[in-house]
Amino acid sequence: MINHVTIEEKVQETPTVFSMYFRWEMKVMPGQFVMVWVPGFSEVPMSLSSTGERKCLTVKVYGETTARLAALNTGDRIYLRGPYGKPFTPTEGKKLLIGGGSGMASMRPLIDDRATGIIASRNADELLFADHFKEGQAICVTEDGSRGMKGLAPDALDKLNLKEFDAIYVCGPERMMYAIFQKLKGKDLNVEFSLERSMKCGIGLCDSCSIDGFQVCRDGPTFHIKALEGSMEFGKTKLLSSGKRVYF
Amino acid sequence: MLIMRNLKTTAGGVSFENPLILASGILDENGYTIKRILEEGSGGAVTKSIGMEERDGYMPPVVVEHENYIINAMGLPNPGIENFGEEIKIARTAGKPIIGSIYAADPEGFLNLAEKMVDYGVQAIELNLSCPHVKGFGTEVGSDPVLVKEIVKTLKGSIDIPIWSKLSPNVTSIVDIGRAASDSDGIVLINTVRAMAIDIYARKPVLKNTYGGMSGSSIKPVGIRMVYEIKKELGLNIIGVGGIESAEDAIEYIMAGASAVQIGTAVWKYGRNIFSTINSGISKFMEDNGYENISKMTGVAVQ
Repeated sequence: MINHVTIEEKVQETPTVFSMYFRWEMKVMPGQFVMVWVPGFSEVPMSLSSTGERKCLTVKVYGETTARLAALNTGDRIYLRGPYGKPFTPTEGKKLLIGGGSGMASMRPLIDDRATGIIASRNADELLFADHFKEGQAICVTEDGSRGMKGLAPDALDKLNLKEFDAIYVCGPERMMYAIFQKLKGKDLNVEFSLERSMKCGIGLCDSCSIDGFQVCRDGPTFHIKALEGSMEFGKTKLLSSGKRVYF
Repeated sequence: MLIMRNLKTTAGGVSFENPLILASGILDENGYTIKRILEEGSGGAVTKSIGMEERDGYMPPVVVEHENYIINAMGLPNPGIENFGEEIKIARTAGKPIIGSIYAADPEGFLNLAEKMVDYGVQAIELNLSCPHVKGFGTEVGSDPVLVKEIVKTLKGSIDIPIWSKLSPNVTSIVDIGRAASDSDGIVLINTVRAMAIDIYARKPVLKNTYGGMSGSSIKPVGIRMVYEIKKELGLNIIGVGGIESAEDAIEYIMAGASAVQIGTAVWKYGRNIFSTINSGISKFMEDNGYENISKMTGVAVQ
């Protein structure tokens, strides 16, 4: 069923990322996603970056459909269906949020005073929501070293005592998440990954996004680290939109 | 899992430990997914329809979701037959029958694909004679009785494993097409019903392809009628499919003439454990009503 909502406010977050705020009377939990349709173009899966009464979609421009979406303005209509998927398991305690690229968008609803963030991107301009963390609790990592430490998200892990955190949440490109998974597995940490795979139907039918027989759109997108241990596919292989298996 | 002995059935020349088979097009592109569904209770699985060449399928939106139905236009995405052997190899480790679905435009195309599927070790071939939304394939092939007869004849003459023909409800006379396909070991009824949806605010068709195929509980009465009609008029071995969501739905198809049934869209509403839920329900119904096996129930309503 397609829902129709109206943009109430638009905020530019980075040169290529825009947030669209709107009212939608639907219960959404952090980590869940919607399928956003741009009539005449395509439909894309997107996590909600705000899940309260006022919802938010944070759009990263990477193709024609997202460019159209990002070009919408206050008063324009958004077409969406959902929410879908299994949310993050909430925690009251101390948490670490690790976001690469636009990955921090799905975790923004989890940011509070007890949250520490590792925010990674190519350069300083593209760091997303780093300023939403309490002062001193945001660790920025850029590939070009233009802000924070130079390197990749996993490099920042060495600076922290991970045992301090009651929960660790990770979202970003699969290659980044796999590198983090390799560092954190077998350490008895409470880690959840929000996976991104090529998604078409969003409702557990088409098999495009499946990993080890689980549907990312339905059994995920959030997976506990224990569920990924022994995975034959995570970080190793994926299916193209034709279903052809390729290796990372 | 409890083994329910009374659920064993032979349909379309293939033996299954229970009468539920994963329908083509649903969760059957990735070998690991097929394996999981078989391990979680399905008696067998039909693969995504595979053609000679790799194909991306249509851009999203590829589905329209409604309370009682789905309309889809995936556009036959598939990795091409050369790339599909690995997935079947993974799926086969579940130790249950895999039926390879194939689509082509002519008898030679179907034969080439079927030979590859045999090499990959499938237990039967399902001919997709009914995809409602891709030009040149599916229904365009399957609504021509002369072509259907030729395709089935070509395959039966060269392939040693059972051949199933999946037919479209989008034809004037299902009996005419059924008769043309009657040399098949199994007739699979029905594929999706050609349909579409419009968003009234966008003033546009929702599916990128405009037209799609409708599945889900809304189409069950159409499927029941066609299974019944083919059983009554032609007495063929039938695998029923279309809108099955419960044990009662599956039993209805069996009583209309099906020896086994396929489940697809119901996974969307009820998850993968729909297979074990329905199996338990059928088994209990059979016990309560004195049926020793599925074949004793097959077609009992036909008069």
